[in-house]
Amino acid sequence: MLRELKDLSFVNMGYGWYPETVKEALKWEPDVIVGQGTSTDPGPGYLGSSDIYPYTERFNQKKDAEIIALARENNIPFIVSAGTPSGSNLHLEGFLRIVDEICKGSGIKFRAAVISGEVDKEYIKTKLAKGEKMRRLVDTPRVSEFLTLDEVDRSVKIVSQMGPEPIMKALGMDVDGVITGRALDVGLHMAMPLKRGFDKGLAAHMAKVIECGALAAVPEVIDIMFGILREDHFLVKAPNPSLRCTVRSVAGHSFYERPDPSKELNPGGYLDISEAKYEQVDERTVKVWGSKWVPSDKYFVKIEGIKPIGYRTINVAGIRDPRMIKHIDPFLESVSEEVRKRFAEVEEDYTLMFRVYGKNGVLSEWEPKKEITSHELCIITEAIAKTQELATAVVAYARGKLLFWNYPGRTTTAGNVACPYSPFDIKMGEAYVWNIWHLMELDDPCEPFKVRVVDFPRNKPWEGLK
Amino acid sequence: MVKLVNLVKTLRSKNAGPFLTTMDIFFEDRESYERVKNSGVITKELVAKLYGIPINDVVGLYYYDPAMGIKITIIKPHGWISGDPENTDVLGCSQHVPLQDIEIP
Repeated sequence: MLRELKDLSFVNMGYGWYPETVKEALKWEPDVIVGQGTSTDPGPGYLGSSDIYPYTERFNQKKDAEIIALARENNIPFIVSAGTPSGSNLHLEGFLRIVDEICKGSGIKFRAAVISGEVDKEYIKTKLAKGEKMRRLVDTPRVSEFLTLDEVDRSVKIVSQMGPEPIMKALGMDVDGVITGRALDVGLHMAMPLKRGFDKGLAAHMAKVIECGALAAVPEVIDIMFGILREDHFLVKAPNPSLRCTVRSVAGHSFYERPDPSKELNPGGYLDISEAKYEQVDERTVKVWGSKWVPSDKYFVKIEGIKPIGYRTINVAGIRDPRMIKHIDPFLESVSEEVRKRFAEVEEDYTLMFRVYGKNGVLSEWEPKKEITSHELCIITEAIAKTQELATAVVAYARGKLLFWNYPGRTTTAGNVACPYSPFDIKMGEAYVWNIWHLMELDDPCEPFKVRVVDFPRNKPWEGLK
Repeated sequence: MVKLVNLVKTLRSKNAGPFLTTMDIFFEDRESYERVKNSGVITKELVAKLYGIPINDVVGLYYYDPAMGIKITIIKPHGWISGDPENTDVLGCSQHVPLQDIEIP
């Protein structure tokens, strides 16, 4: 009999899946259920967030996590990355609490391996102290060419995209499933096939096609996807009967959020799909073969870190008066000047900026249209300061000037702008920027990723969690 | 001459991580794809000019025939880096606009 491995792929970010399509997919008898739940795309603010459910809230996370109960009821192993979106220990713990709740609610018990994706700063500092070089992944002057001790010290949290190896190791620990923090999305899907000895190039390519769920089908929607990996090819098909995988949708998905459509750098090598072949098998199914894995001599993982830059407060206001719109640039410059005078004694401790929607709020200096043609503008006044109090004071003062400062031909002496909210100003908490986006070499791909075998539901939360 | 936006099915941008922006162009039919590919109009020089960046920061310009797709990847200029104070587009999904008006013979 033909050896094959069937992978049901869902997205574990709180975006939702449809019970009827999952029911259909379960009839196709998956060998493993895999879901990605971590991403850096939503920006640095999430890794820094002290909110345990910062992205899609507990409600949405729980809806997604219920697939684990289905996996257990059908005795199918599961592999999920969690802690949306950062994959830090704090956010991973948020997910584990939801798993506890689901188990208690449905009477399900199981054993899972929990793998942390957060890397201890001391671990990295020890490597740096030994003289190891960690080069930046992208040649941007925004981050140091080689990671420095200083940048590690400045960072609040550092996570790393574990490859498939720690997950393969965890699968050997007599567990029903694996829950990771920050992880390489394709690694989640590669772990089971590699453990069972399938071709690495095909496993990596199938992972790449199905990792975002149904985004590789048309029409592009958030739903689940199904991959069937065989010895010399793989098949992809979306369980939702209204979705079709086509040669172009499957081949085209290799573009998604990747710098190069035919080569993808991964820990321990790269996937080369320049010679991959695609064939339409039936109306909804595509067959793929010819993908190659090219191993490298060294094994690198990406590490991602953030540092704080202060506290942010914003104000949102609208302008409808055509005379004011006409004078918007000098008007905002006058407001800035008034703020500079008021806060002269703390000028080093804050920055003020305006985002002007209707003018160039999206493309800023890259906006080719210089003339404002909109009949209304939205102004976001924003301050980043050493303290939340100062940021709010700056925005509040600027807001007062937006309301009452003069401009040529002004008739609106009772107030210039429309504020939609009371209170007017929004305190956004601490702001962060990426400061670590580097490659760390590992002798053992599992070394920095701590694995715990955990029986669910747990009696108490994660001990020693920082 | 026709504007690129009138020949494509998909013209989009997105982060490929916080420091790279990648632009994807897909076509409805092979004729339009071949027309743009063979025109030779889309070059690293043109992309550098449209986005006001050094040519070396255009790190990729690829044609992938199985998908009838063109991919352009650039190192983000200052102000584009995801989550930086000056950044206007955390996901990088609205940065394709300067490509729309490229004239294709």
